[in-house]
Amino acid sequence: MKNRLKVLRAERDWTQGDLADALAISRQSINAIETGKYDPSLPLAFRIADLFALPIEVIFLRE
Amino acid sequence: MTRANANPAMRRYMRRFIPITFAYLAAIALATAVLPDDAPADALTISLALLPGLAILAWLWAMARLLIELDDEYLRMLEVRKFLVATGITLAITSVWGILELYTPEVPRMAVFYVFPMWCIGLAVGQVVNRFGFGDPGPC
Repeated sequence: MKNRLKVLRAERDWTQGDLADALAISRQSINAIETGKYDPSLPLAFRIADLFALPIEVIFLRE
Repeated sequence: MTRANANPAMRRYMRRFIPITFAYLAAIALATAVLPDDAPADALTISLALLPGLAILAWLWAMARLLIELDDEYLRMLEVRKFLVATGITLAITSVWGILELYTPEVPRMAVFYVFPMWCIGLAVGQVVNRFGFGDPGPC
């Protein structure tokens, strides 16, 4: 699954560590999601969407 | 909580793992030093022989607690993959060897003692698999 996490993070000038801290997860998790190696669970995807105040489908896109 | 080793579950796991490892090594050393190869199966022999087994049970408990307490789903997934790789390798080796033993009596018997160390070696292989699959060996 593709996602716009890296772009959204860059727009806010956040590092992977900043985003990881905000979501209370590891930086490795952020890196794995951004690079498409790992698709987050639905609860985590919703937490990410809530953090960016965006609908989930704006962040996570169908292939 | 930006680094895997900063995860509280990982810190708790290491705090459990290290003393259990020392207890296991001490129990093995004690049983080896005290019990001769032809020791009778009396209460002392069985008690000393069970001590390392208790340490292994404690290890399994610590690993189960890690999976329960690890709240980072990606790190937990890496850990579960390691366990699956280790279990697959152990099942493959012991099952194939067991069939060999069954049909070819000349094949040396594999002591069941080696199953757990084999599984632990499988964890290291699982870490390598994670490294190649995700570029990330996992939290421990």
